[in-house]
Amino acid sequence: MNLAEGVQIVSFGILAAAVLISALGVVLLKNVVYSAFLLGGSFISMAGLYFLLNADFVAAAQVLVYVGAINVLILFAIMLVNKQEEYAVVKGAGVRQVATGLVCLGLFALLGTMVVSTPWAISSATPAGDSSIVTIGIHFFTDFLLPFELVSVLLLIALVGAIVLARREFVPENLSASGEDEALMLPERQREMVSSRDDN
Amino acid sequence: MFVLTGYEYLLGFLLVCGFVPVLALTASKLVRPSRRGPVRRTTYESGMEPVGGAWIQFNIRYYMFALVFVVFDVETVFLYPWAVAFSQLGLLAFVEALIFITILVIGLVYAWRKGALEWS
Repeated sequence: MNLAEGVQIVSFGILAAAVLISALGVVLLKNVVYSAFLLGGSFISMAGLYFLLNADFVAAAQVLVYVGAINVLILFAIMLVNKQEEYAVVKGAGVRQVATGLVCLGLFALLGTMVVSTPWAISSATPAGDSSIVTIGIHFFTDFLLPFELVSVLLLIALVGAIVLARREFVPENLSASGEDEALMLPERQREMVSSRDDN
Repeated sequence: MFVLTGYEYLLGFLLVCGFVPVLALTASKLVRPSRRGPVRRTTYESGMEPVGGAWIQFNIRYYMFALVFVVFDVETVFLYPWAVAFSQLGLLAFVEALIFITILVIGLVYAWRKGALEWS
């Protein structure tokens, strides 16, 4: 059984609208936490669009990596620096917003004309569909074996680097000497610096 | 052209899932008493009294859990095609996947030894 043509069109419309509305919310909302959650909604709608394009593995990877990992990291980063502060109103904010809007509109027009004018090589072959993941798996373990194994090394490097950075074993000397602005200092950093000095 | 099979069930599930929060909120709106007061607006914390605001700065230590999670999340993406195509790949692919996992287990051991997994 398959999805009917009309169902596909309706789903595409809903997903495209969801992508656009949540992306606009990311940009326009003042609260950064709402923006982060709406970014997750935008990513999930993108995954739905990938499903409609027969790319189920890409959609699953999109949900796992972008929604599960990247968006969680963004939320964590917001939680770590989440200080309620009163910002002074910038002078001439309206002019700045209009200028930014014009630049963005120009960029959008440029990309739009590029998309329309490019002669896309659309293949008429039947998509692989359900067997695409098996094909990807076979490629991983035959002709793309070395990159596949190198990915694990890359992930290992990322993990070790993240731990080293988060533990702050290498705090620059000038950072501890100069009285850094208290608002910029995380409470954790002070304690870690003391402990790392004891280790040395 | 849509060639994937079985997605009409996903669509059905999505529709049902969309109705769950609507029904839950509507039902509670119909049933609950309409008293007003300061206690009504407090956060439900499983019976505990909520202390302080939720908009506080969190400890950077939690970021490490997120980073370790991201690494193993990406690992899942790479192991997923292997698991799906397992029956067609044979013993060599199994050994290769074991090497892949072993390299990442080294990272896990490193994180463990450095105390990155301790919740304190």
